[in-house]
Amino acid sequence: MKNQVRELRTRRGLAQGQLAEAMGVSRQTINSIENDRYTPSLPLALALARYFGVTVEEMFDDQGSLPGDRSL
Amino acid sequence: MIKDRCQAIARSKWFLPLFSLALGGVVLLASWLGGQLGAGVYGLVVLAVFGLVLMLLGGRSETIRGLTTGRDERFAQIDLRATAVAGLVLITAVIVAWLVEIARGHSGNPYGWLGALGGLAYILAVAFFRWRG
Repeated sequence: MKNQVRELRTRRGLAQGQLAEAMGVSRQTINSIENDRYTPSLPLALALARYFGVTVEEMFDDQGSLPGDRSL
Repeated sequence: MIKDRCQAIARSKWFLPLFSLALGGVVLLASWLGGQLGAGVYGLVVLAVFGLVLMLLGGRSETIRGLTTGRDERFAQIDLRATAVAGLVLITAVIVAWLVEIARGHSGNPYGWLGALGGLAYILAVAFFRWRG
């Protein structure tokens, strides 16, 4: 899932490890999220959004990644 | 409370080495009871070294640390998938062994029982997790 995590993190001057520590996950997990290889759980997505002061919708782009009526 | 305590124990860096050592002790005991003390000692040494290596590498490798003491949601998902793959391989091997034993004119056991146990465990797990929501 496309997301703005890398942009928001670098804008704050944070290293992946620092963000990972703040979120209570591994650096590899943050790296995987930033590279669209891993879709975080809802609690982690909410925690990331709160941390950066944005909404989940602003942070994650679900266009084309959800089944059902997205194309309607 | 109990779950938190169990998770804290499992996340300790000593958990895996001590678990490996305990498993090695059980292997040693079983081998000793079966009159194969040498094989038991070998099993104990292999498991003890395995646990020690994992503990030492855990300090350097983020992957090993993630799969042992520092498990987060992504590593939990990886662990779940890996367990599913290992289970699939195991049940396939059991079914193949069962069929081979039947083709040889044998009863197919213990592979038949193992396959039945695996199938029953799967059905019960599906029912449980469906009920739990």
